[in-house]
Amino acid sequence: MEEKVMLVDVSKCTACRSCQVACKQWNKLPAEKTQQVGTHQNPPDLSWSTWNLIRFTELPLKEGGVKWLFRRDACLHCTDPGCQRACPVPGAISKTTEGAVVINQELCIGCKMCVNSCPFEIPRMNPENNKAYKCTFCWDRTSNGLIPACAKACAMGAITFGNKDVMIARAYARAKVLGGDATVYGDKYVKGTHVLYVIPEKVRMYEKMVVNPSIPISLILWKDVLKPLSALAIGAALVGTFFHYVIKGPKRPEEEGGE
Amino acid sequence: MAKPKNLILSSTTFERVVHWVLAGSCLFLFLTGFGLMFHSLSFIARLFPAVPLFTDLYPGGYSTMKLLHNLCGLLFGVAFLFALIAWGKDTLYFDEDDKKWFRVMGGYLWEVEKVPECGKFNAGQKTFFIVLFLFWLIMVGTGIFMWFPILGVELTRWFYVLHALGVLVLGSFLVLHIYLGTYGNPGTFQVMGHGLVTKGWAKKHRPKWLRDVEAGRRSV
Repeated sequence: MEEKVMLVDVSKCTACRSCQVACKQWNKLPAEKTQQVGTHQNPPDLSWSTWNLIRFTELPLKEGGVKWLFRRDACLHCTDPGCQRACPVPGAISKTTEGAVVINQELCIGCKMCVNSCPFEIPRMNPENNKAYKCTFCWDRTSNGLIPACAKACAMGAITFGNKDVMIARAYARAKVLGGDATVYGDKYVKGTHVLYVIPEKVRMYEKMVVNPSIPISLILWKDVLKPLSALAIGAALVGTFFHYVIKGPKRPEEEGGE
Repeated sequence: MAKPKNLILSSTTFERVVHWVLAGSCLFLFLTGFGLMFHSLSFIARLFPAVPLFTDLYPGGYSTMKLLHNLCGLLFGVAFLFALIAWGKDTLYFDEDDKKWFRVMGGYLWEVEKVPECGKFNAGQKTFFIVLFLFWLIMVGTGIFMWFPILGVELTRWFYVLHALGVLVLGSFLVLHIYLGTYGNPGTFQVMGHGLVTKGWAKKHRPKWLRDVEAGRRSV
């Protein structure tokens, strides 16, 4: 299967939230008790059962009034996923050839290491079964020739899905058309995400959009430095004590053998 | 129990039991911890049964292994409190002789005419205990907040790093500790075994302590 990319052109988004609903419907995710937090954002945050959320940002304008920024927030499906690097169970988090990063709840042991290692704070725990959940890139649809449910439901054409090269080219072309502060977000981070954004404003204007996301330095120290080093140190100690015995020999009490 | 001639009690029953609980829980934590850290050691997870009681689905033995790692961490955490009671007063300080001991590394690395005399524990053993004390705080502290990550993403990420650092330090220290307590120092293992050692051993390894015991200044 060819590598795919989902392009989210937020300049076209009208915040109708059909993607949010389609996601719930296809993935059979239950509704949750929500809360009015003073904006139209509903529910207020991603959760184990809300994998796709339209975030509303009100940008005050100099001439009075506000400008509304809408952004579809969900897993970005990194080429180098922090969640997968952190996961202790082989195969519990896997990547498909299309680029989807998928958590297999049957293998999840609820350690929450993916939750704390994602640069985008995407995976969420279901408190009832203590397992992590997030967007699956609709791998069950795409592997059967369908496009993800959110892209299918988007009436504005803000969410499109296709082959990687085509979509990247399309993203840059669109950003050029928009001009101004418009940029492409995603292809430069974590070896390229499989969800790309075209955003008309600066990254920091959007709620919870991470400026220059990368694998946390702590994760590199933990998995790439200390993990091999600990095996090496223990091995060195084993070899060291062995040769200490062979070269220096044990320390015996003087009288031993004399009594 | 009648004490055989020329043997002397080097550790109390309390000390020996605490030592074995620490040793057992520590080794079990290493076994399960390695199973969780290295995907290549997934065979360790297969030693544990998948218990449907803990999970509706089947992540094999991994769920069980993780839960037992957490629970065993609590056991280790509590057991070390007793270790502090048993050995804290003899280990958490250094004196002049300890400094001299360090200068010759206790005679372990090169030929030394006279190793400075020590009491119940030499400077190396004291260092081991102090490091263990420090990493006991780190491992139990980070472990609990990795189990229940209520302190936020940023902090929890660094707990993983500290926990892995503990594996490095404690793992290599444990190897040295086992070597020095067994075939590196013949006779020493009985301090952890039945507690009785020869006077010759005590004179070699605990000269100041032996004088104190023989003069009745301390019992063990």
